[in-house]
Amino acid sequence: MQNRYLGKINVFVIVSVTVALLFVALLYVQYGRSRPGIKIGVLHSLSGTMAVSETPLVDAVRLAVEESNQTGGVNGRQIEMIVADCRSDAEYCARQAEKLITQDGVQALFGCWTSACRKAVKPVVEKHHHLLFYPLQYEGLEQSPDIIYTGAAPNQQIIPMALWALEHKGKRFYLIGSDYIFPRTANLMVKEILFAQGGQLLGERYVPMGASDMAAVVKEIATQRPDFVLNTLNGDSNLHFFRALHEAGISASKLPVFSTSIAEVGLAAMGADLTTGHYAAWNYFQSLDNAENKAFVERFKQRFGRERVLDDPMEAAYIGVKLWVNTIRSMDTTDLKLVKTILAQQTLLAPEGIVAVDYATGHLWKTPLIGKARPDGQFDIVWKAPQPVRPAPFPFYRSQVEWLDEQKALTEAQP
Amino acid sequence: MKFTSLTYRFLLWFLVGSLLPLALFGYLTLLQNEAALQSEIQNRLTRLADKKTLEIKNYLFEREQNARLLARGKLVEEAISSLSVAYSRHRPDSAEYNKALKQFDNYFKAYIDENSLFYDVFLITQQGEIIYTMQHESDFATNLIKGPYRDSLLAQVFRESRMTLESSISDFEFYAPTNAPAAFVAAPIIRGGALTGVLALQLNTERIYQVARDSVGLGLTGETALAKLIDSEQAIFVAPLDSDPQAAFKHKINLKTSAIPMRNALMGERGTGMGLDYRGKQVVAAWRYLPELSWGMVVKMDADETFAPLYQQRKNLLEALLALILFTGVVAFYFGRRLVVPLKSFALTADEVAKGDLSKRVDETRADEIGALGRAFNRMTENLQSMYRTMEDRIEERTRDLNVTNEQLLEEINEREHIEKSLRESQVELLHNQELLNEAQRLGQLGSWELDLVSSELRWSDEIYRIFELERATFTPTYENFLSVIHPDDREKVNQAYTQSLEYRKPYDVIHRLRLADGRIKWVREHCSSEFDASGKPLRSVGAVQDITEQKVAEDRLRIAATAFETHEAILITDKNANIIRVNQAFQDITGYSSEEVLGKNPRILSSGRQDRAFYTNMWQQLLTTGSWTGELWDKRKDGQHYPKWLTITAVKDERGETTDYVAIFSDITSRKQAEEDIHNLAFYDSLTSLPNRRLLLDRFRLALSLSARSRHYGAVLFLDMDRFKTLNDTLGHDYGDLLLIEVAGRLRSCVREADTVARLGGDEFVVLLEEVDMIAEEASQKTAQIAEKIRVALTEPYLLKGHEYHSSPSIGVCLYRGNEESVEELLKHADMAMYQAKGAGRNAAHFFDPAMQLAVETRAALEADLRRAVSGKQLRLYYQIQVDNDQRPLGAEALVRWAHPKRGMVSPAQFIPIAEESSLILDIGHWVLETACQQLEGWSKNELTRELTLAVNVSGQQFRLHDFVERISAVLGAHQVDPGHLKLELTESVVLNDVADVVAKMHALKALGVKLSMDDFGTGYSSLSYLKLLPLDQIKIDQSFVRDIATDPNDAVMVQTIIDMAQNFRLNVIAEGVETEAQLGFLKQNGCMAYQGYLFSKPVPIKEFEALLGTGNS
Repeated sequence: MQNRYLGKINVFVIVSVTVALLFVALLYVQYGRSRPGIKIGVLHSLSGTMAVSETPLVDAVRLAVEESNQTGGVNGRQIEMIVADCRSDAEYCARQAEKLITQDGVQALFGCWTSACRKAVKPVVEKHHHLLFYPLQYEGLEQSPDIIYTGAAPNQQIIPMALWALEHKGKRFYLIGSDYIFPRTANLMVKEILFAQGGQLLGERYVPMGASDMAAVVKEIATQRPDFVLNTLNGDSNLHFFRALHEAGISASKLPVFSTSIAEVGLAAMGADLTTGHYAAWNYFQSLDNAENKAFVERFKQRFGRERVLDDPMEAAYIGVKLWVNTIRSMDTTDLKLVKTILAQQTLLAPEGIVAVDYATGHLWKTPLIGKARPDGQFDIVWKAPQPVRPAPFPFYRSQVEWLDEQKALTEAQP
Repeated sequence: MKFTSLTYRFLLWFLVGSLLPLALFGYLTLLQNEAALQSEIQNRLTRLADKKTLEIKNYLFEREQNARLLARGKLVEEAISSLSVAYSRHRPDSAEYNKALKQFDNYFKAYIDENSLFYDVFLITQQGEIIYTMQHESDFATNLIKGPYRDSLLAQVFRESRMTLESSISDFEFYAPTNAPAAFVAAPIIRGGALTGVLALQLNTERIYQVARDSVGLGLTGETALAKLIDSEQAIFVAPLDSDPQAAFKHKINLKTSAIPMRNALMGERGTGMGLDYRGKQVVAAWRYLPELSWGMVVKMDADETFAPLYQQRKNLLEALLALILFTGVVAFYFGRRLVVPLKSFALTADEVAKGDLSKRVDETRADEIGALGRAFNRMTENLQSMYRTMEDRIEERTRDLNVTNEQLLEEINEREHIEKSLRESQVELLHNQELLNEAQRLGQLGSWELDLVSSELRWSDEIYRIFELERATFTPTYENFLSVIHPDDREKVNQAYTQSLEYRKPYDVIHRLRLADGRIKWVREHCSSEFDASGKPLRSVGAVQDITEQKVAEDRLRIAATAFETHEAILITDKNANIIRVNQAFQDITGYSSEEVLGKNPRILSSGRQDRAFYTNMWQQLLTTGSWTGELWDKRKDGQHYPKWLTITAVKDERGETTDYVAIFSDITSRKQAEEDIHNLAFYDSLTSLPNRRLLLDRFRLALSLSARSRHYGAVLFLDMDRFKTLNDTLGHDYGDLLLIEVAGRLRSCVREADTVARLGGDEFVVLLEEVDMIAEEASQKTAQIAEKIRVALTEPYLLKGHEYHSSPSIGVCLYRGNEESVEELLKHADMAMYQAKGAGRNAAHFFDPAMQLAVETRAALEADLRRAVSGKQLRLYYQIQVDNDQRPLGAEALVRWAHPKRGMVSPAQFIPIAEESSLILDIGHWVLETACQQLEGWSKNELTRELTLAVNVSGQQFRLHDFVERISAVLGAHQVDPGHLKLELTESVVLNDVADVVAKMHALKALGVKLSMDDFGTGYSSLSYLKLLPLDQIKIDQSFVRDIATDPNDAVMVQTIIDMAQNFRLNVIAEGVETEAQLGFLKQNGCMAYQGYLFSKPVPIKEFEALLGTGNS
């Protein structure tokens, strides 16, 4: 009797377990049919002279991609990163961009460091009405329906820094920069702004890219004795310049140098002692004291090693991906036209604070910061704009056409 | 306890097996619904939030552009230099200053008053002196660096602009001089690279509040909150809330404890979701951050409202589930008990038997397995008991037997003699009894039988032979033979009954059929019981068979009658005195009376009183003479409602022809009546509004005309439709449209006399027919105008449609009539025309028909008919108006179409182009122009002189909207092998303002072909600067209306100057049309215009003259 009853229960248990298993299997099939991945292209130089600067940016992009994939990807699709090595060659980079768009079918491009690279890739992106995120501060005078500039425009970096220097250090200034489009254009703007505030230019020198002999320049500076130097040198030249200053016995307290291209990653490579006490302007410093940034730094170090440091271009590369991911997530489509429309309205609480895509220009609203270099290669923030500043890629006091003519004249004047 | 647990286990498994999947299913469905609802609401909020942020962004962007353009303008430059001189040399209230002020004041007012985009304009010197404000508030003539307002936002944007040479926009904050919240936009004034001052514009909150207040699509509880941070834990509202109109700049939000969406927004996040709002209420919200003002925006709806349907659903499901659990629980419990209780008593009995009480038995009556178990058990116990008893008996008997045997032997001899005697006597008696029994059986049609199961002998009584209609002589009764008489369908049943009765030792009673030798069927009832020996073996069965055929037939008849009685038609039976003795269910359903309520009453209680006495007298007369009556009459239900019924009364008569009863059969024909009425209404009435339809209107109108012919009174016909009705239908749906029409119909009816006709022709077109208005024409039109106005006012009142307030208005056309002078159709046409005139004059108006108007319409129709022949009849001509550059060298021409009408002569494009645009004729004309122009370009390309000329061709909206427009252009260009760069398409603003995405795509495609694009009539439409940027234009054309007064009207001068500035900013070419004087040319040239067209150079001329012009121009 009891056996029979137990037998019934067993049948019942078996039936219910089978039904449950079938149900789970059905669910699994439903969800397991995962959607295909979504591809993005990363265009940075992993070899050649720019490799040292650009490789960390690939890591920043990778961090953002991995974080997004861990939180469900974009609408159930995993992001696949295709990294193309630009070999520090702008033309080659443009060809890689063409390949990523037409052969690999990527949905967005993240990359370029130099203006030369950007200007080579821009026509490719525009030809395909595609989408590029450019992470570097640059000279402005550019705007494209197909590019989101996540770095600073001049009015978000060099101009506030120059004005702050004028107010705090004195009116006599000296300009030094590498001889290419960014320093020349940036200085054109700086001079006019500073002149309007009564500034006095003592000298303006451009040295070839990669130049190492700074003796003449430093000698001129020593004799002119400006109140501050505005430095737009790029790459290794910085090391030679600061060493020459040091050797000439010119200290930061006597003559502060304000730089646009010296950041934590660069300092870690060239040693911090030469630059201690000098200034740099960015929208992000690793030392920023807010919860968002602390978590960001921690995540980065956990992923790539405790000895690694972060700086502005890396953060700008990181938020580029974040903005793109947020956009796609909010609308479940990859139609580029729609993506760009929604992208133009994105805002984000980034490690650097609130950033917002400017509807009119495709640049970001960012908060300018001025930092003073510490011996440990980090910066103390000495000034911070009260709120995010609207990007002005074309400064107001000339019309767009005039600016482009000016710039053309600058580049043509060069040998 | 152990047994009851079986019940609970049964219950548990039942619940798990049946209810768990059900609950799971319900839960999953709910979850899915919730997700769908939530995503739908979130999508809606996302769209609304995006729309609102864009509205604010665009508003601020355009204001900033205004400031930038103004700051670059020449007049601002002059203003700052001459005002600062007057200001510093004299005093701000001096006559000199006022004199200097005058010319600029007008300039700013003209620029700004137009659409009051700004509240105020400031000119500020580099030193911070406010030397000009338009409003002249207390901030005038103060210093922004040292003065009382040095901490204001105005001072802040001033400093910012002065410092960075960049335009700057501030947040909104309370501004003391204006005593209201204000924001400021500043732009530096720079001349020759030097800063000469700052221009600032003051914005008020009006536009922003408008965006915040707009709660379309947000339901009842939805609202838009705008706030900014005041410290890290608190924010303050910056715009009024729906729930709190005083909130702006007054009420604070604690971000630490509530207002999660606002906190997200102010942290710079963009998203949608659920959370507690500033009131601590759960809401569905979309949040946005506005970088321009550092504000957060939250668009939200209460979750209670949003999820109300879901909560209801959840409650329903829970209730249903509970009810189901309760129900199935009780059922499972009941069956469990049924199973367990006998088992329990079984166990008790078994226990007692085990203790030795063999007389106990368990219940074995159940037919299921438990019953079988019981029977087996009982049989076992019985066997046990009988074995026990037999053993005891046998011992006792043996002893007694031995004692008795001797006595018995003696007695036996005596007794046998005695027995033999009485046997003989009783045999006689038995025979007699047997006869009596036979007789009794025959009377009762009840036969008996006996089956000896030991010898298998079956004995039948005589009656059985009679019932079975068999002969005793020819038929041997055996069980098998007996079965063969039974109806084949019943054999199994009888056999089974008997077999089971043996098995279970129970008597049986069964009714079955016989099939007689001649095939007739008989119904019999059979009883039987059997005897068994001590071991349970059956010994003998005794049974009786009764013929119940007659009884059965009677029963069937009754059953059929009863079923027929319960039909869907009501049946009422009375006795001959008309007292109700029986009614059926349908009667109760129709009348509402229960059978108890009417029994014994007279059917009079059903009467509605609608029929008079004569009707009933008539009915009774017919009933008495013919025995039946049929007809329709109205009765009353119990609830007092009257209804029509179709009634048949029949008198029932007995054998002698006396009436014993009356049977009334009737059905409720309300719905049939209703259907008849509906059919009538459909033919003459509009089903939506129940107003007369076109057909009935025409009937009545014709009647009215002939009445009017007799009475010589004027009447009027009003034709009206609702303005923008289509928009309502398209946006809110047809439900709303229908509701509106019903409301309109009601209002119309209430505006006119009972005798007047209000009809609906279809769609939103209504016609009101007013009869007999007045004998005198003036009076009649006066009165009609009053009624029309009354209607207009009534229909303009707001409509409440499903809780939505909706505003609409009618356009009314009126036409008077008298007599049969004009036909109905003509009059309606006139009223219709008048209505279109009312629409044309700006809607929401009533217009009287005017014969002049008719003439215009007819002329136009004639022109349109002619125009149809113009293209094929080769009546169109292309004229060319030269376009020249700054040195008056020819650049090309604009191709303009002319129509050489065979009778009217040259018809101006202003006359025929609008007509063509209203029909599709414009497409033919457009194509002809394009074709001809390209042909011309082909011709020019062969000549050195004309090779480089471009030809501008106007494109109409209809043409541009053709989906294959680009392909057509490409085809025409290809056909004539024209260089696309020499063809310039002129688009008007109205063309490009339509369907932006499509337009931009087409323009890009045209650009890709190489065709040049120019924007015609620029400045007359609404093109915004930001919009212009989207369009891949090559050129904009300044409209001649601006050029005309350029030298005299400063407003136009500023406008033209602004357009040229802006065009240069966007790197567009500018051409001015309508240039007629040297002064105009001079002004344009001075301001940077690059190309010109106008009578100053040449009027539009035929190709011969144009080519001649080129010849002279070049020589």
